[in-house]
Amino acid sequence: MEINIRNVSMTYPNGKVALKNLKLNLKAPSLIGLLGPNGAGKSTLMKLLVAALMPTGGSVLVDGQPLAKTDRILKEKLGYLPQDFGLFDELTVSQFLDYMAALKGLRDPKAAIRKTIEEVNLEEKAKAKIRTLSGGQRQRVGIAQALLGNPSFLIFDEPTVGLDPEERIHFRNLFSRTAQDRMVLLSTHIIEDVQSVCDQIVVINHGKILFTGTPEQLIKSAVGHVGVFWEKDAFQEQGLHITARVNTSQGIRCRAVASKLPAYAKEEEPSLEDAYLYLISKEGA
Amino acid sequence: MKRIRLFFPELKRLLKSRLTWLIVLLTVISPITGLILYKPATASTMLSMYLANPAIAGGVVGGVLFGVLTVYELDRSNRSRVNVLMDAVVSPLSMALIRLTALIASALITLALTILIWLSISWWRIGSVFSGVDYVLAYVLMMGLALPLSILAAAAFYQFTRRLDLSFVLFAAFAGLSLTVWAGNWQLCWLNPCVWALSDDFSNFRIFRSVTYMRLTWLVALSGIWSLSYLCIRRYGKDLFRSLIWNVRRICRPIIALLLVICSGIAYAAQPMVDHSNPDQTVMSFYEVPYAQDVVCTNRSAQVLPDTAAGTVSGKAAYQFQNTSGTEQTIAFGINPGYTVSSVQANGVNIPFTVSDYQEYNEAMLETSIPAEEQVELVIEYRGFPQEDYNMSALQGSAEISKTYVCLQNASLSPRLMNVLPDEGMYPTTIEITLPDSMMVIPFGSGKAEILAKNNDGTATWQYESNGTGGILYAGDYIRENIETDGMTIEFYYGRRHQDVMESAGAVDAVKSVVAYCTEHYGTLSFGSGDTLKLIQSRVSGGGYATDGASLLDEADFTASNLGDGSKGTVAGEVMIHELVHQWWGLGNMFDSSDDTNPWSAEGLTVYTTYRIVKELYGESYAQENYVKQWQQEVDDYYLNYYVRHPEALEMLPSDKQLEITGNLSYVRQYCEMPLKILKAQQLVGGEEAMDQILHDLFNRELDPAYPYLTYQEFLDACGLTEEDLNLD
Repeated sequence: MEINIRNVSMTYPNGKVALKNLKLNLKAPSLIGLLGPNGAGKSTLMKLLVAALMPTGGSVLVDGQPLAKTDRILKEKLGYLPQDFGLFDELTVSQFLDYMAALKGLRDPKAAIRKTIEEVNLEEKAKAKIRTLSGGQRQRVGIAQALLGNPSFLIFDEPTVGLDPEERIHFRNLFSRTAQDRMVLLSTHIIEDVQSVCDQIVVINHGKILFTGTPEQLIKSAVGHVGVFWEKDAFQEQGLHITARVNTSQGIRCRAVASKLPAYAKEEEPSLEDAYLYLISKEGA
Repeated sequence: MKRIRLFFPELKRLLKSRLTWLIVLLTVISPITGLILYKPATASTMLSMYLANPAIAGGVVGGVLFGVLTVYELDRSNRSRVNVLMDAVVSPLSMALIRLTALIASALITLALTILIWLSISWWRIGSVFSGVDYVLAYVLMMGLALPLSILAAAAFYQFTRRLDLSFVLFAAFAGLSLTVWAGNWQLCWLNPCVWALSDDFSNFRIFRSVTYMRLTWLVALSGIWSLSYLCIRRYGKDLFRSLIWNVRRICRPIIALLLVICSGIAYAAQPMVDHSNPDQTVMSFYEVPYAQDVVCTNRSAQVLPDTAAGTVSGKAAYQFQNTSGTEQTIAFGINPGYTVSSVQANGVNIPFTVSDYQEYNEAMLETSIPAEEQVELVIEYRGFPQEDYNMSALQGSAEISKTYVCLQNASLSPRLMNVLPDEGMYPTTIEITLPDSMMVIPFGSGKAEILAKNNDGTATWQYESNGTGGILYAGDYIRENIETDGMTIEFYYGRRHQDVMESAGAVDAVKSVVAYCTEHYGTLSFGSGDTLKLIQSRVSGGGYATDGASLLDEADFTASNLGDGSKGTVAGEVMIHELVHQWWGLGNMFDSSDDTNPWSAEGLTVYTTYRIVKELYGESYAQENYVKQWQQEVDDYYLNYYVRHPEALEMLPSDKQLEITGNLSYVRQYCEMPLKILKAQQLVGGEEAMDQILHDLFNRELDPAYPYLTYQEFLDACGLTEEDLNLD
């Protein structure tokens, strides 16, 4: 499966420009992490990819065919977890998944539902009404419905929100396994999740793509731009973005990114988060 | 195919919702409101009270509930944001169609449950005149079809506006229109069909056809409107107009929507049930057509062939004219506007004719010119579905043609001659009619119908003679009782389904008692023809009427419910007497419509006469106990009634409540206060014999043709009393 985003722009009816002339090529199998601050245009991009929105400029091609004409075919291959979604509260987890399986047209829904419920660790809640579930459990139901039927293209928008750390690790491993033979697009604020599983990263801000490549490439781009220093040694510096501030017995130790590190800062090996923040701060400057 | 596959999960999901089941439950029990609160069918037949009213009320309540459910369900997936999951899998257009069909399926399940649950209740309430076919048709047409109409309307409103509040307001306004402004228009009252009566004894296919036509017209119209709203379903984050532009790109969609809307418009305009008679009923232009000069009608005949399955009539009417004018003469006929005239022949030659677009009193005018020959035989061939008068469109059902009952009146039977005088004051007429052989033909008049031939196709051809330009014919599964009383033969015809009720009420004995008593005390009925009088129980018609040799008894007077009405008689047989006494007081002597402020009506004299007959039959103490004491008790209660003592409090109530209370109070005044006043008058004039003489004289008085009604003042004058003399203080 291949998705080609060609000069896509999206302006909402209220005049808000969400995406500007976006170009991107995605190929399966891959697990792509979509990073960007709030309001960067991530969700808009995802909505365009699931044909919930139609771009105001450019086009999206799925396997070479315009999405506008093939959205019915895309829907058959798609698993989608939006950031903000609802469930039918009066149904049990199994019933809801059964309903979604029917909408997806699965041939053997019972087996698929059983497998998916196991994957999202909801065996004990399979017969529970959705209205009785916690926020994290509802999120897992959302992930389950996306995974139902082994879709060849999966889009997860903030999938690990509301999950505890153990569950987060479970799910990112699940996404990683899933992406072995498919395309998974993962939008998240949690850099750690991306770093752990994504083989490709897209960073987006203000509706523009700032970076596409591997996590290693992103990290490499920040080498020499991450440093640590004691706060007491620091002056008012232009372009210095503090990313961590730790109270210690010797004083406050800061970690920062900058285009040019000040002399009092000691250079450090960048993490993915540092690299991401460096990229965003650079764009902001 | 995918949509069909998705239908069942959606229906299953819908039926998992507690709200759905609450709506289903409320709808299933909603027919009860037709027994208590909402009674649009005003006739007092058992089927009107215990079938039409519950079914219509069920349709209204159920329709509103399903409209609410539809808007709620459509909005819910948006509100709860489940739609973002579903839209990623299925197109919103497909989902809208699937949701609609699932909602309609849930409505059908509700209807099936309602029919099952109410079967035994209706059977029990309706009694021996219960009919399974009428029961199912009433619930399907009067209740069932209201539900999908509501769903379509509510879904359309939501798809247009995509707002819960606006959709509710629009749906409430649409339902409100049907219940108020459109309530009297049989084609527009989509939620509450115009059904004023269902017959117990005879068929109801005419009114069922009318309701079906209205429902189907709306079904097509609302399907069209829904299809238009379907094109407005928001897609790809676009607003209404951009979504519309996007959705109409598949051209078949707007074409289907527009075709449906146009078809409904055509169906509305071309409805076959009701004519276009002039709504101004003071205009009688057909009676002002100048008579043909020197032409008389010497004879007429008609061969009438009703198609009882299709409800249509085909016929051939022949008229013999003597034209001594030596010129062509224009002859005019009144013909039912639903009929098409296929040919008009004069002495075997086709001649031109016109049928007017203008219609009046359920007739269109057929005009043709007869040649300047002395003897002319004019033959008119016609066929079609008899339409009813536009001005009576809210009271349809009179032109019934079914396998069990036929009623053909005047221009619906054969073209009515308008402008030719009879030869020697007579229009000798021979009517032949072919009907299923289970039917008995009863001409409304002194004519006697006889079987001319029994045909191989299970029909029989009947023939009867009459005299006149029109005529009324009844046919049905009747029982005929010949009752000999005081030199008069009463032919009493009643529907076979009423046999048990009539027998248990002692109908034959009641007829004997009433005819003997009333004839002796008041005189013979003016419409009695010689020594024979037909008493014909007709399909529910809102009252009786009479002609020479025949009198019509409305079936509503003989329902088990009416025969159990204690204010008319203690037992069913006495109520039967009461209804038959109306032949003298009410029909033989007519009364103007009564008003709430005056107890005078046909009921007072009828109840009084019933009391006198009962007194003669069962003795004074029985009559005193069961009549006079009962009246006195009711009247005492009446004067103690809060609203009688404080009329200003009554005026403060809502108008419908006022109407209900004044109706109940006026009932007491007419059925109890007035008989007591007549009893008091009896005492004041010198006893029963004196009162009998007064009533005899009033009954046989010379009538003023302009106002032939018996008034209270005439009664008081005849007694030599004043209103104050009859005060019951």
